[in-house]
Amino acid sequence: MNLIYTSIGFFALAALLGMYLLTFVLRGKETPKAIVFSHGPMAVVGLVLLIIYIAKGGPNPWESLVLFVLAALGGLYMVSRDLTGRPIPKVLAVGHGLLAVGGFVLLLVFAFGN
Amino acid sequence: METRSFWEATTPQRPVYPTLEGDLQVDVAIIGGGITGITAAHQLARAGKSVAVLEARRVGGGTTGWSTGNLYVPVGPYLHHIAKTRSQEVASTVAQARFTALNFIEQHAQQYSIDCHFARRPWYFFTQEEDMASTIEKEAETLQQAGMAAELVTQVPGLSFDSVKRAVRMNGQARFHPLRYVLGLAKATTQMGGQIYEHTTVLDLKEEDDHCLLTTTQGTVTCNQLIIATHIPIGIHTVQTVAAPYRSYVVAMRLKSGTYPDAYYWHNDKTHHAITTHSTNSMELDMLMIAGNHHKTGQASHQEYQHYFNELEAYARQHFDVASVEFRWSAQHYRSGDGVPYIGLTHKGAKRTYIATGFYADGLTYGTVAGIQLAEMIAGEKSPWLGAFDATRGTNLATAGQFIKENANVAAQYLKDIPAGQASHFSDIEPGEGKTIEVDSEKLAVYRDEHSQLHICSAVCTHMKCIVNWNNAEKTWDCPCHGSRFMIDGSVIEGPAILNLERKAIDPRTGHLVDSGGKTSGEREINNPIT
Repeated sequence: MNLIYTSIGFFALAALLGMYLLTFVLRGKETPKAIVFSHGPMAVVGLVLLIIYIAKGGPNPWESLVLFVLAALGGLYMVSRDLTGRPIPKVLAVGHGLLAVGGFVLLLVFAFGN
Repeated sequence: METRSFWEATTPQRPVYPTLEGDLQVDVAIIGGGITGITAAHQLARAGKSVAVLEARRVGGGTTGWSTGNLYVPVGPYLHHIAKTRSQEVASTVAQARFTALNFIEQHAQQYSIDCHFARRPWYFFTQEEDMASTIEKEAETLQQAGMAAELVTQVPGLSFDSVKRAVRMNGQARFHPLRYVLGLAKATTQMGGQIYEHTTVLDLKEEDDHCLLTTTQGTVTCNQLIIATHIPIGIHTVQTVAAPYRSYVVAMRLKSGTYPDAYYWHNDKTHHAITTHSTNSMELDMLMIAGNHHKTGQASHQEYQHYFNELEAYARQHFDVASVEFRWSAQHYRSGDGVPYIGLTHKGAKRTYIATGFYADGLTYGTVAGIQLAEMIAGEKSPWLGAFDATRGTNLATAGQFIKENANVAAQYLKDIPAGQASHFSDIEPGEGKTIEVDSEKLAVYRDEHSQLHICSAVCTHMKCIVNWNNAEKTWDCPCHGSRFMIDGSVIEGPAILNLERKAIDPRTGHLVDSGGKTSGEREINNPIT
């Protein structure tokens, strides 16, 4: 379970940075790129750890993984829009966050629910 | 002392070309009126193509008019390095292409009677340090293998440097006045039917199946082929991951003796200095120039910008009887990982759009190479240089380390964009100084002029959103990621950015941002001292 706990730690840090970034997107401000490029890699590390845990077999949080993968795709799309000067749709930013929060909650339930 | 190019200051009767107003249809459109664009336009017009050059500022007013006026076969990244990272065949092709370009410039300067002070003279590459000797020997050997008449020598005439350890000489290199030459070639191009437009900014470009479409500030251009000759392609382009922006510095001085060595020298010890001489209004040499001190664009501290000029001046005073410093300026160049420029179709799927970039600091000769090669490609001729300069080659294993280093450097610049101001208040900014500060969660590029008036723009580069840094030597905002540069009013000077920095206003009572009406795309003429 150590992998899951470490993964949760990275997702939690990524979530904090993500919420901070969301305040910039919702106010129509430029996102600070140091936060953008910290948020993404932290989430990726959490995701990789989760995939390694699942690959080891046994009971696993598939639903959480699916939500995180969808959130990651949305995140990549938003970064590409941001760096190429196109506005980030606020709905997309909120949706990305909700998917990630959903995945995070399911992961917490899986890790601590029993 | 303000920065001012010797070439700009010594070019009389500069012609004025019109701004493009309305729509235009041509065979070939060329973005950029430097030596690359004008050479290509000349060749295409001579081949019977209808051609239009679209220059955002003035013809020759970019790096061409801010260079050092030297024409030579060797290259800054060294041919022996190219032989190692690519092959001896590529290194030989590079040398032969540059040799051809040098002859091209001489021939056309004579053909059109361009008063550009073209004169042949030797190039010397020397060192006073034993551990640099092998570099010189390898370069001489690679040049010889390329069929060039380079020879190791024991003397470096014209200079009084003690204990030269190794030196190589190559005769038949040249000096010229690059701005006068390009303006002369531009005139010849228009006489053959070529069209040139100044103060015409291209805001958008698209390659379609059967044509290319450009949108300019006041019209559109439809063409069969498009050349992006803007030093680095404008907009977002993958070549920007393999061509890194650097700046270098030049100081021009008069000597007390009035005796100027007639050669071009590279002095490589712990640092590299280029020594050259030029003439103001006749063929008589009357100006010494020292160039060097390369660094990545936008990545020097405030103190260092002045230091770069001061160091060159100190070097000159150490070795020459300097009477006065007349000019100092700096210019941009782009470095490819393998030391060879990218010249040709813009990517593997492209059929109509061509680029030329990665000239290192050897751009006057390479710009001519690019102009000749691109014109040949568009005319359907087989260019013998195509394989060496292929613009779609990307990187290879030998240059992967350089590729990673340069792009990690870009990533590191993004990581500096943390939400914390670098100056706490506008009052921290002294007259004549610029700083990036944060107000209402926005990064601002703020310059206070000598009359204490604030000039405020967004500090977010319009290319790929790095935060610009203040260059106090040239009073510009320079992007440390991909080399876009902006005036204090936010106007684009050079680099890949198309849009100006967004202008901002502050309510003096509250200190908060005022909505000032959005972006200022395409406005480049306002109080713009660089012509």
